Amino acid sequence: MNAAVRLSVSSLRAHKRRFAGTFLAVFLGVAFLTGTLVMGDTLRASFDSMFGNATSGTGAVVRGADAITTPGESQGVRQPVDTALVNTLQQVPGVAAAAPDIEGAGQLVGKNGKPIGGKGPPTLAGNWITDAKLNPYQLAEGRAPQKSGEVVVNRGAAEKGNLKIGDTTTLRTPDPVKVTIVGLATFGGEDGMAQVTFTGMTRADAEKYLTARPGEASSIKVRAGPGVSEKELVGRLTPVLPKGVEAITGQATAQENTDMISSQFLTIFTTFLLVFSGIALLVATFSIHNTFAIVVAQRTRENALLRALGASRRQVTATTLVEATAVAVTASSAGLAGGIGIAAGLQALFPAIGFPFPDGNLVISALSMALPLAVGIVVCLGSALMPAARAGRTAPLAALRETAVDTSGASRARAVTGLGVAALAVATTLSGVLVSPSIGMAALGTVLALVAFVVLGPVAATTAVRILGGPLHKFRGVTGGLARRNALRSPKRTAATASALMIGVAVVSLFTVFGASLKATMDQTVSRSFAGDVAVSTPSFGAGGSGLSPRLAGAVQQLPEVDTAVGLGRGVAKVDGRGRALTVTDPVALQRTFDLGKVDGSLRDLGTDGLALTRAEAGKQHLTTGDSAQLTFTDGQKRTFTVRAVYGRSELAGDYVITRAAWAPHRTQDADTLLAVTFKHGVSTDAGKAAVQKVADRYGSPEVQTRSEYAQSSAGGIDMMLTLVYALLALAVLIALLGIANTLTLAIHERTRELGLLRAVGQTRPQLRAMVRWESVLVAAFGTIGGLGLGAFLGWVLVKASDGAGDSAFAFAIPPVQLAVVALVGLTAGALAGLRPARRAARLDVLRAIATE
Amino acid sequence: MTTTTAVRTAARVVDAVKVYGRGDTEVRALDGVSVGFPAGRLTAIMGPSGSGKSTLLHCAAGLDTLTSGAAYIGDTALDGLDDRRLTLLRRDRVGFVFQAFNLVPTLSVAENITLPLDLAGGNGDPEWLDALIDVVGLRDRLHHRPSELSGGQQQRVAVARAFAGRPDVVFADEPTGNLDSRSGEEVLGLLGRAVRQTSRTVVMVTHDPVAAAHADEVVFLADGRLVDRMESPTADKVLDRMKAFEVSS
Repeated sequence: MNAAVRLSVSSLRAHKRRFAGTFLAVFLGVAFLTGTLVMGDTLRASFDSMFGNATSGTGAVVRGADAITTPGESQGVRQPVDTALVNTLQQVPGVAAAAPDIEGAGQLVGKNGKPIGGKGPPTLAGNWITDAKLNPYQLAEGRAPQKSGEVVVNRGAAEKGNLKIGDTTTLRTPDPVKVTIVGLATFGGEDGMAQVTFTGMTRADAEKYLTARPGEASSIKVRAGPGVSEKELVGRLTPVLPKGVEAITGQATAQENTDMISSQFLTIFTTFLLVFSGIALLVATFSIHNTFAIVVAQRTRENALLRALGASRRQVTATTLVEATAVAVTASSAGLAGGIGIAAGLQALFPAIGFPFPDGNLVISALSMALPLAVGIVVCLGSALMPAARAGRTAPLAALRETAVDTSGASRARAVTGLGVAALAVATTLSGVLVSPSIGMAALGTVLALVAFVVLGPVAATTAVRILGGPLHKFRGVTGGLARRNALRSPKRTAATASALMIGVAVVSLFTVFGASLKATMDQTVSRSFAGDVAVSTPSFGAGGSGLSPRLAGAVQQLPEVDTAVGLGRGVAKVDGRGRALTVTDPVALQRTFDLGKVDGSLRDLGTDGLALTRAEAGKQHLTTGDSAQLTFTDGQKRTFTVRAVYGRSELAGDYVITRAAWAPHRTQDADTLLAVTFKHGVSTDAGKAAVQKVADRYGSPEVQTRSEYAQSSAGGIDMMLTLVYALLALAVLIALLGIANTLTLAIHERTRELGLLRAVGQTRPQLRAMVRWESVLVAAFGTIGGLGLGAFLGWVLVKASDGAGDSAFAFAIPPVQLAVVALVGLTAGALAGLRPARRAARLDVLRAIATE
Repeated sequence: MTTTTAVRTAARVVDAVKVYGRGDTEVRALDGVSVGFPAGRLTAIMGPSGSGKSTLLHCAAGLDTLTSGAAYIGDTALDGLDDRRLTLLRRDRVGFVFQAFNLVPTLSVAENITLPLDLAGGNGDPEWLDALIDVVGLRDRLHHRPSELSGGQQQRVAVARAFAGRPDVVFADEPTGNLDSRSGEEVLGLLGRAVRQTSRTVVMVTHDPVAAAHADEVVFLADGRLVDRMESPTADKVLDRMKAFEVSS
């Protein structure tokens, strides 16, 4: 064994405890990363096999060739196919069976009267395909629907709604339909396609409730006869298909479905988790660097002795690096095992929280092992590089001096460099935000700001701790004073320790500020552009739910309390070749309930060939009032519309408005997404709301909300998101706290004699403990306040950059209560981090402490 | 208070036994020592290495506990005091001067001197502190950090700290062990003056006959037992007595 390795091994053995913190930091980061990757691969594989199973009997799918996709929606809307085509297809040689697949939205109401699902994953309804091999759902219990009103539902949805075979409930299509459950189904062997709910009805019912016109289906599924491959089948079908209709293999549809789930859910899910494991590892970098820096400083004498005895610089550096490698490899390997454990745990947990998850082995790819291992080792070694180089530079003479603790840090060069970078950061950010809005510039500024914070840390640490700790002396006497001095001892160390927490807190505050701003924006949107008294809306978060019955608006309009009730439906069309979402409504009533800003032209007579659009969109498409635009609908029909009005505000009302009459010939399943109601003068909100709710109860009982309730529910998804973000950031904060605890423990080791002296001259154990704890709190306070400042600034940048980049105005809001809570949590956490080191310090034996050399 | 044979003792141990280790490795550091340290005097404890002199000092001062026997500061028995009471006793009634590392590096000279008082939360007696600073001659260094002082100056600060709270007794463990002879002489002179001018009590462990000569009385320890006492020592007399140990052992 070479000398450097031998020295490292003996040193590691002697000081195992010192590296416990480093080990934990790397372990947690790597475990999180591994868990994410394994989980992502496993989910992807299981969706693959689920869709494969479910569509294994389908040889080909015949559907509209052209899909109209609107920005922000990947799936697109296709033109329906004529069900009469089924007969033609059945005549094609090699076709064993063909069945129309009618698909629409249908939300079941559970036993407790509450709708099932609808907060993200789709709630689907369709015809129950009688050919068992073509039907992706298999009957698990009961029987298929035979007469009107009978349905089969997937088992997962039935369980969630506490529904059993024989139960009668409501299906919102969105018009409420009374249905009786006669069977339960499974999808690809599971209780459902993830969280998607499905209700299968008879073909007649499906045509009646889910399509605009009978005789239309979303697609036709075709089963191949024996000996006919999917490719051959598609080849034989294609010649008989009318124009605008295509055939693709069953395998291709399964792939499309998997890809869709991947892009809409899995990729976002894993990217999200990867970002957070990245943050955790970044925080770990600071903790690890600190540990090695302290260990090297404490070992100055030992290293100097080695140098005096003839060890080369390289050998001394290598000793530290070998130690780092040993810790890195052990911790990363343990992290891999931990990550697989996390994935296995989640796999067990998912079904328990009602998320069907196929059994089967975890998919552990080479990448999901190699990447975290490499990242763990690089992070650990990279963090130890500078301290190791410093160890190599130890002068042999240092062996003869008193152990010097590194107190440098606040050098002039550092201050100048830091201020330079900070100025550059602010300039870049401001120009990216205010002068010529660009997310790229803002992002660059953000990175520079982070660098400036890290460089300036030690300079700021001295001032900040001095100020923060100022009152301590008054409140806690000499104990507080000593804590403050101790925190000031090595500004570099204090800054590095605090930086870890700072980054964690900065990201937390960034999200808090951004979340609050989003909410404020929604609130502002509603209060500015919604002039109604109450709203009936479907969940705005995700694609679930089935919308509102289009007849609800008419029924509400009949109420004596109501002045105007306007329903907003959604349609899609290509406007001059580009897919766009349309708002289908009564434009005159729309203008009465929504503030549309300045309107050029008139919304009064759009008729069947007129449209209105926002000024921003008009600018993009180079349209003004009087111009004409060609709209292509999902049924393939092209119509020329005249621009009759241009309005200012698109929030809530959308970018394009056409009348119901214009939409009617091209409509698909009819549903409104929002119903806005204004009351007559003298009608109280409560009375009006009650009256509207009464009517709404006849149409599947959607919830009626006052203006403020509506604004709040629009923001509901944000809170959910924030909760998730906080949970994920807990890991980074935990690593930062481990770093503080570790630094303190090392510092206490360094100050053993001093602590012994303090105890000898009369410092009580509680006083000693308080001293260590306060030091911890001071470091945490520095990190927390820095993080809050940085986070708030970055939040402002993000909000302003989004504001500048998008069309809609984006409000900036600082939530004082939440930020105060973040600060409090940071400080409390600091006190907690100090607990263990404080206990250890207080256990010191006075005599042995004094005798320690 | 005029007679030097006053019965009052500032600190004493009775039948003090201290055993380290167990079985084969058992070491009897103190083997039945009974000795009192009279108030208002400077007493030196001498003896060859391993005679138990430091152990005696630590046990008498309440830094360490006896295996059997009793230790008193004034009339307070130390056994039976828990850690908290012992700490408070050290803070309020005992002062310490160690061989090295006497000062907290983050505190200034003035803060180091008042450290025990600050820990107790009191202000001390400003006139006394003022006089003390003059006695140790560090008025112009009050706002310096320990690292800016010489070894001798650091020990003088330690002496001032030890006396700051007007303790019943100050224990000094080889206070000049790390100093050159001139600085050592200064520190010893300081201890002597403090005892004689202000009627304080000092108990000092030393292996240096010259240091011991500053004491009013020397007690000799060997193999954990009290073997001799000497009033009004001189360096030569102490040296002779020490040589006798080497002959007998």
